[in-house]
Amino acid sequence: MEKSNIFNINRLYLLTRRHLFSNLTGWMIAFGALSGVMLVISLLVANFQPGSLAMLTPTYLTIMFLGGYIFTSSIFSELNEPRKATHYLTLPVSVTERLASAWLLTGILFPLFALLMIFLIIFLANLIMNLTFDFSPFANLFSGNYVNAFKTYLVTQSVFLLGAAYFRKYNFLKTLLVLFVFFVAFMIVSGLLGWLFLSHLAEMLASEEAALNVDPVAVRWIPMAANFFYNYLMLPFFLVTTWFTLKERQV
Amino acid sequence: MVDIQELCFGYSKKKTLFNHLDLDLKPGNVYGLLGKNGAGKTTLLKVISGLVFSDKGRCLVHGHQSKDRVPECLEDICFIPEEYHLPSIRIDRFVMLHAPFYKRFDHSKLAWLLKEFQLEPHNRLHQLSFGQRKKFLLAFGLATSARLLLMDEPTNGLDIPSKSQFRKVIAASVNEDQCVVISTHQVRDLQNLIDPIIIIDEGKIIFNQNIERIASVLHFDTLMDIKENMQPLYQEEGIGGYAVITPNLEEKDSRIDIELLFNGVVANVNGFNNEFKK
Repeated sequence: MEKSNIFNINRLYLLTRRHLFSNLTGWMIAFGALSGVMLVISLLVANFQPGSLAMLTPTYLTIMFLGGYIFTSSIFSELNEPRKATHYLTLPVSVTERLASAWLLTGILFPLFALLMIFLIIFLANLIMNLTFDFSPFANLFSGNYVNAFKTYLVTQSVFLLGAAYFRKYNFLKTLLVLFVFFVAFMIVSGLLGWLFLSHLAEMLASEEAALNVDPVAVRWIPMAANFFYNYLMLPFFLVTTWFTLKERQV
Repeated sequence: MVDIQELCFGYSKKKTLFNHLDLDLKPGNVYGLLGKNGAGKTTLLKVISGLVFSDKGRCLVHGHQSKDRVPECLEDICFIPEEYHLPSIRIDRFVMLHAPFYKRFDHSKLAWLLKEFQLEPHNRLHQLSFGQRKKFLLAFGLATSARLLLMDEPTNGLDIPSKSQFRKVIAASVNEDQCVVISTHQVRDLQNLIDPIIIIDEGKIIFNQNIERIASVLHFDTLMDIKENMQPLYQEEGIGGYAVITPNLEEKDSRIDIELLFNGVVANVNGFNNEFKK
């Protein structure tokens, strides 16, 4: 059977396996070290400040997010060094497979593995504290909103995926810088636009009687649009942009 | 196999490297790509393998635009660069991870080549010397059975026995379906291997002839002195006299000196090309 030149599941598997096995040692060391630190923190907090235990799950999720962003930023590191890029770009795989493999590793497998590690750390901390002090600090093991965290990670991670494909050096830091500049510019522009077009609403809202007559659609559409963009457009937008960026990458 | 037409390329808009370059590469040949430093030999190989994109013109490889990097096409291209990076894994692990990308990968050929180059499957790539790594890359590249092999300075870093081993291996393993392009400065290393010879200069292919034709048109000789009535196409003064290239009017056999030919063509491109037009 003729293989497609756009997407082939076998090539995707081979590329993902190549990526995984070529970097496995480094990734395992990083994961192991982080997990160890998180386990020690869990035990220390459970021992000295059991009241702060509720704060640990968000802390772990933050570490997972940050780790994921850094990991994502380095996923196309081969492209940033000409000697490695020559080999990577001449591998017989399509742009779609390069993107799918990177996304699978950083957007799907990484958070799943990280969440599994978080559960394991909490479970281990519980077990150790239970055996040692007859006390289970993490009674509500699965209380965190993990599904929501996974979804948030998936959407926000796509920005760093684009940064990984676009920048040639310091991908993580440059993506952060661009995000910061973008948000500052966005806030300035939206503030100016609000002042220009919606200032009459403020005057109307000053009188209680008039406020009752204000059409709420005018006020609601901005957050609704932002919500729609975040939930449904941001991920595909950044994935498509990353695809085009990868297609145009040269040595 | 490779069809380049009207190719324009430059690393910056002000300075162009290729200016409407045309080139047609056919299977069954081991092309020697020669040129001065900065002439664009490596860049041309990169354009063919889709690593850099041309500004204008087209570069078709197996009927596909090289810049599209189509998997079917990449499966049939093996580019061995002058400078490369190999991961810190064992040879057998590297083969296990990379060979399945090439559907015609020949494991028995790889085993033979590794044996020829005295490499063991359990050798760690980062522990090999520069020359050994180059030999491994060459062995892997030949085992992919890619129809287009692009090599940039393949004999750089090889010791003297390895250079003859390289010639032997290339001559033995390349078949009629394959096309090999070797970019090199070390023409003496590849004296009896490359045919035809392509010379690139100032963004254009200034010379593209096969050995048989060169031998029939030109005569290479070493003379103690040059007679007044003699009008060589090119001459170089050396230790043993003058190395000269003259039109082969008497159809005599002579040993082609590629280095002398290169110097001659670069110095007197019109004179040489006029001889080939006759």
